[in-house]
Parts: sequence; C-alpha cells; structure tokens
Amino acid sequence: MSHAADFPYPVPEPGTEPFWEGCNAERLLMQRCNACRKLRWHPAPLCIWCQHEEHEWVPVSGRGRIHTWTVITHPVHPAAVDHVPYVVVEVALDEQSDLRMVSNLVDCDPVDIVMDAAVEVCFRRHASGQKLPVFRLVHRNT
Amino acid sequence: MHAAIVGIGHTEYSRDSGRSELKLACEAIGAAMRDAGLRPDEVDGIAKYTMDNNDPVEIARCPGLPRLRFFGGVPYGGGGGPAGTVLLAAMAVTTGQAQAVIAFRAMNERSGRGTPRFGQAWMTDRAEGPFSYLAPYGLFSPAQMVAMAARRHMHLYGTESRHFGEIARICRHHANLNPDAMMHGKPMTLEDHQASRMIADPLRLLDCCLETDGGAAVIVTTPEFARDLCQPPVHIAAAGMGGGAWNNRFMVKDAEAVHNETTVITEHLFQDAGITHDDIDVLFIYDHFTPMVLMALEDFRFCPRGEGKDFIGDGSRFRWPQGHLPMNTSGGNLSEGYMHGMQNIIEAVRQLRGTAPCQVQGAQHAFVSAGNAVPSSAMILRRDG
Repeated sequence: MSHAADFPYPVPEPGTEPFWEGCNAERLLMQRCNACRKLRWHPAPLCIWCQHEEHEWVPVSGRGRIHTWTVITHPVHPAAVDHVPYVVVEVALDEQSDLRMVSNLVDCDPVDIVMDAAVEVCFRRHASGQKLPVFRLVHRNT
Repeated sequence: MHAAIVGIGHTEYSRDSGRSELKLACEAIGAAMRDAGLRPDEVDGIAKYTMDNNDPVEIARCPGLPRLRFFGGVPYGGGGGPAGTVLLAAMAVTTGQAQAVIAFRAMNERSGRGTPRFGQAWMTDRAEGPFSYLAPYGLFSPAQMVAMAARRHMHLYGTESRHFGEIARICRHHANLNPDAMMHGKPMTLEDHQASRMIADPLRLLDCCLETDGGAAVIVTTPEFARDLCQPPVHIAAAGMGGGAWNNRFMVKDAEAVHNETTVITEHLFQDAGITHDDIDVLFIYDHFTPMVLMALEDFRFCPRGEGKDFIGDGSRFRWPQGHLPMNTSGGNLSEGYMHGMQNIIEAVRQLRGTAPCQVQGAQHAFVSAGNAVPSSAMILRRDG
C-alpha cells in the first residue's frame, strides 16, 4: 500500500461553508434552528427536528463526553498506514443530549479511554490546509 | 404479496473467480432459469441492488431476455438490498407488470476484478456529502463504523466479545456441514475467535464477513405461473424495506435509536405474513458483522433489546440439528460466502424445498433479513402445506 499525506479532505457543500470557515478560525459552529432553537449535526438544509427552514450558525462550547469509540488498528487507506492505531470517537456535546459528532480523539493512549469521559475540542490542520475539529481528553483534578 | 420464488442458482464461491462479473451473473441467472424450468423468453424482469456493476441491459443481452418489461433496483445500502430486490420482483409480478423477474448479485469483491474490496479499497482523496464528516477522521470501512455501535451496545447491556464469537461459530458450524461453503473444513473455536487480530476494536477479524467472488440469483413469479414449472414454489409471505432519519451516517449506527431500519420493517412484517415469531422454523439474519446479528435479533423482536447476549448464550439454540431456531444454516456471509446476502435467500429456499445440507425437518417458514446499519429489507418465506 502506497503512502498518502493525509486522509481524504472535506469538500464543503453549498450552505456548509460557515462550518468549515469556523474551523479554520478554531471555532466550532453548528446550525441552530430559528424556530425550535435546537442544534443539529451534521448540517442539513432544514431543521431535522421541526423542519423550519431558517437557521443561524452559532458557536458551541466544544465540550462533551465520549458516547462511543473505536481504536482502528487495521489501515484501510494509504494515509492510515503510518497512523495506526488511531481513535475515532463519537462525542455527545454538552449543549444538547442528542447532539453528537464523529471525530478523532488525539493525544491519548487508547487504554486511557473510558465511556462518558470528558473531552474538549481542539483543531488539527489537515494536509489540504483545512482545519478539522478533533477532541482530547480533559484531565480534571478530583 | 402474490408471488413465489421458483428458481435459484449460484456459482462457486471463491477468492478469485478468474472471470468477469457479467459472466458470474449470467451463470447464476442461467442456473436459476434451468432450476425453474423457465425459457429466456418467459423471463421479463430484472431487479438488482446497489454496488453491482452489471447493468440490466447487459443481463438482457447475454442470457437473452427478448422482452424485458420491468427493471428496478434498490438504490442504496449495499447488503441492505437482497430482500428488497425480491420485494421489487414480487411487486412487479403481483401487479402484472412482469411475469417472471430475476433478482441477483454478482461480484468479484475478493479478487477486485471489477468491484473494489469493500473493506480495503479506500483510495479516494476527496470526501463529499455526509462522508465529509467521517472520512477526514479516518473512518472509512463498514467494520470501523460498526465497531462504534458494537462498543456502545457492550457498554449499555454488558454484551461481550465472546457473544460475538458465538455468532461467528454458529455460522462456521454450518459451513462445516456445507461442502460448498468457503470455510468448509475449517472449524473455529471460541479461542480462535478471541485470538483473531483486532481490526477496529472491539471488532476482530473473525467478527467480519468473508470477501467473495461469485454470483447468485433467484427468480420470482406468480403462484399461478409457478404451477407449470419444475420446483415447488416458495411463497413470499411478506417483505418490507426500512430506513430511518439517521441512515445517512453510513454505518455509524445509533445503538439506542427507538426507530431504525430494522424496527421499521418489524412493525408490519409478521402481521403481513399472518404469523408470529414462534412460527419461524429457520432463521437467516444478515451477518456482515457479528454485533449486527445480535442487534438485528433484538430489533426484529426475537428477543428484547439488551437481551441479545443471553439469547445468543452459547449458540446452541441456533445450531442445526439440535437447536430450536437454526440460523444461517449454510454458513452465511461469515462462512459460506459473501454474496451480499443473496446466498442466504437461496439457502432459505432450499430449506423450504427440503433440499438443504442442514435440513430443518418440516420447515415451513423462513425469516430472511438483509444488512442492518444501512437502509435494509427483510422477508418471510413460506412453503405450501
């Protein structure tokens, strides 16, 4: 398997540019419905909860908890060869219990991952130049 | 539904067929037509599912179907499609749009002669649409996506890897009784499963289906037309498709969703067939990945959600001949051959004809599901008498 610089780069669709531009400014933006005020992920042209057409892009905290994860050990893309093992995570964001996004958990040893662990967003620059929201564990002193 | 399966056919299942996908399709379809006793001019419809490279026009030319009146397909979802193609075929003959309709799958998914290996060939450098929210993080293959739902299920309900292993062993047990199965002669212990290498934790290699070159086809017609054919008809008692609002996340399944592609089908399938779960004599649960079999058993209400691990137990319930509910009796996607579920439909027909290698005595009703975690389909088949 030949090596590649990075995983596939995202191609923004019309209407989703604010999200990608927000990432480049290291801000995590999501669509919030102007009618029911619920957030949604990933982007959709209508509110997936009430079907209202108007929304605005609002910043979210980027804090959340691990909903589930996998540790990928078998590379299936040329860019993965040098990166296994890596962690793909689904994060439940603090703002809304049903607001979950898929990303990477970075800067961690997979053995340290537990369900519901607190995480926070940070940003990784993809080889294409686009920054991507990724997450790291929040180590709280208790 | 006023339709029956009257012909079945398949090629050998191998790691390298050495021939084109069109040839595999034509061989399987030709075998199904001979099985039924149908001439090419009596077959006038084709139903296919997504990810198959063979176009209906090529199929019409090669087996020589001069009067093609119906061609349809399940447009999304890969292995979610097999029962859906039979549903389309059944609708076409029930409504008189066609007399006899082929449903098929043919692919060189293992050798890569035409079809890329689904688990490995992610060479693209662009991620578009919903994929742009997954692939930049290195989430590509079905196994990786399914692993996330498996982990959540383990957390919620105490499911363990050994329960997944028992599912793999059920299929391997049957494959060892089926001389045509790719994994015939290769027994598997639970220790073998636990020792198999991790692909995407918690999924191990032996939790994943095979990769296969081959072709498989069935032919559907009306019960009236079936009377003049060679085989006893296997009736489509009920069939359905299902999808949900979250299926655009590919196979990143929500383990807790109240409604999903499987529960939607379950809402009407048994009622349409006029039977209950207790009437099912032989079970075919689509086995792309072992955790998805467990979750399908729950979502199809063979057991309550969260109790799949106890329902699986040591697997004995599902093993022919002692088990009360033999499952995937020819070995399934996991151990017979990965024909995207079409091989399970063929085995269900064999069971109801009484010609299966692991024959369930007196089997009258078979339940056959397609792949879950994607828009899916399922059906209940019934023999006369």
